[in-house]
Amino acid sequence: MSSFTDRADGALADRQLKIAIERTTGTAQAKRAVAVAAFPDFEAARARAAAIKDHVVANLGAYLEQFEASATAAGTQVHWARTADEACAIVIDICRAAEARSVARSKSMLGEEIGLPHALAEAGIGRVETDLAEHIIQLADERPSHIVWPALHKTREQVSELFRRHHRTPHEGEEIAAMAESARRHLREAMLAADVGISGANFLIADTGAAVTVTNEGNAELSLVPPRVHIVTAGIEKIVPSTGHAIHLLRMLARSATGAALTQYTSFFAGPRRAGEIDGPQEMHVVLIDNGRTRMREEGLAEMLRCIRCGACMNHCVVFRQIGGHAYGGTYPGPMGAVLTPALDGLTANRDLPNACTMNGKCQEVCPVDIPLPTLLRGWREKSWREGLEPTATRSGINAWNRMIASPRLYRLMSAMGARALRTVSRGGWISRLPLAGGWTRHRDLPRPPAGGTFLDQWAKRRR
Amino acid sequence: MSAREAILRALASPIQADAAALAREAAMLLAGNERPPLAAESVTEAFLANLSLPSIGATHDRIASMEQLPDAVARYLAGQGEPARLYLPPDPRLDACDWSAVERLPTVPMDGGAALAIAVAAVAETGSLVLDTATTAPMLPNFLALHHLIAIERARLVRWLEDVPLPSPPGPRQRTWVTGVSGTTDIEGQYVRGAHGPRFLHVVLIG
Repeated sequence: MSSFTDRADGALADRQLKIAIERTTGTAQAKRAVAVAAFPDFEAARARAAAIKDHVVANLGAYLEQFEASATAAGTQVHWARTADEACAIVIDICRAAEARSVARSKSMLGEEIGLPHALAEAGIGRVETDLAEHIIQLADERPSHIVWPALHKTREQVSELFRRHHRTPHEGEEIAAMAESARRHLREAMLAADVGISGANFLIADTGAAVTVTNEGNAELSLVPPRVHIVTAGIEKIVPSTGHAIHLLRMLARSATGAALTQYTSFFAGPRRAGEIDGPQEMHVVLIDNGRTRMREEGLAEMLRCIRCGACMNHCVVFRQIGGHAYGGTYPGPMGAVLTPALDGLTANRDLPNACTMNGKCQEVCPVDIPLPTLLRGWREKSWREGLEPTATRSGINAWNRMIASPRLYRLMSAMGARALRTVSRGGWISRLPLAGGWTRHRDLPRPPAGGTFLDQWAKRRR
Repeated sequence: MSAREAILRALASPIQADAAALAREAAMLLAGNERPPLAAESVTEAFLANLSLPSIGATHDRIASMEQLPDAVARYLAGQGEPARLYLPPDPRLDACDWSAVERLPTVPMDGGAALAIAVAAVAETGSLVLDTATTAPMLPNFLALHHLIAIERARLVRWLEDVPLPSPPGPRQRTWVTGVSGTTDIEGQYVRGAHGPRFLHVVLIG
């Protein structure tokens, strides 16, 4: 068994996890549905959002140079990094030059992708995670399990216990509001005392040089305004041509992520404190990071670079909702993660991810930039087959299946026998165990096939 | 080869359009873009309707002119059972008002308190208020306060987010759209107000 199947197995057996996932993704689905229904042109807006992103990805070189020029004119220092290691080294160098003892970090999935928390720890720089969910998983010493709700796998009971253990003056009651209040007390001083603030960017605006962040907690502003230095780490695909394009995508992002018309705080950061201004950092840096994106653009994954990290695909994924985010093993979980992780971390170790998909198409349906996720997943399956990464048992099984379905007579004979056999092993209308398919039935039950023969038999009878 | 050269070289194909062609194509992509319907025909009504949505949860007050702002502030604080004191930015429009009934704090206290800001624009579409940093407008007090008060002149209300005037370069260091209070859904997806910053938002519409 591969490590993915091990992890999925563990996740399926964890009842607490199932409850936690269901509580958050269920709410997210319902809220998104209401928000999309209230925007009658949502489908057309979605096609336009995809076209905007495709235009940027096709002209990414020109836009990056334009962004660099505008940001530099606003007083921002722009850095370029080919790899995760290069990006982390740039950030650490800036922190060291600022003699930083502590950094306040505003949640960024790119920061997770490049391993920034680990790099800061190795450099001996203290790190305060200021997003409430990131704070929870920092206390638990875990990784995010969702790109919008990183602590989605935690139940309120687990959060309560963590806060009681780590906060100086923890909450008394067991209400969620009391827990949030405890975190507010705990985090505020740490945020204000940080030497450097680090954020990601939801968008980088080419013609103004601004970096855009959206948060509903206001933690980006609290952790980016007081420190002496603000560092933005952003993937090169985050560029948009103008503020107007950012507005169009922000409408899609908020509705798809949380079901709001707009996130509570949307900030445009353009350079260091101006002469005479009362607050804000003395230095602003933007690190433009490739980390595999130019390769994805060349190798058939350009559409994946449309992604604006809303999380709708995972909220609506039947697989994610069963196993949660950690089982995927990479930085990004769910359907978008199953496409990205093989590109970022290699297909050989992650060939199970594209297979953990039912191809129901729900992810593409809810994607605000219409990424053909099922097609991209199928692309990874084909590559895995071509490169011979599938284990021998799988290959011979698929070859045998291939021979069987190539002959209609053989297929009919085998499926008729199969349906009869399934009826004999069912108990009370359900099949909960199958010889040779224990891996499949351990966490699943099959309904008993109906009497009256196979679909083809019944179809033939009806036509007569 | 530097990282910059390597990345740009990897992106050199297809041949990158020149700046003018790129700008034309980008503008065409946005022409007539889809926008959600407004909550009401009148800009003011649509804006106020959005403010009272549960997702924003702001209260509001209407006054005829800036001179009445101190009264409106005192009224709000009294209604909330808060002491009559708050942080005011060093804005000459505020200095011109009579604040004798309200204590002007030099900073926002660590444990909450109230702060006022004057927005440069507000948006009917979303109920957002636009705050810019300036020599007369720091950003941090807006996020430290428990009670966030924002004054906005009615003439500065616009229909859509796109209609908010863009500052001419170099522009402010930071522009923030405020569309509610500091909230979180990070524990079991349940909405809690006052995560790190404001728990209350009060808008004073002038004019």
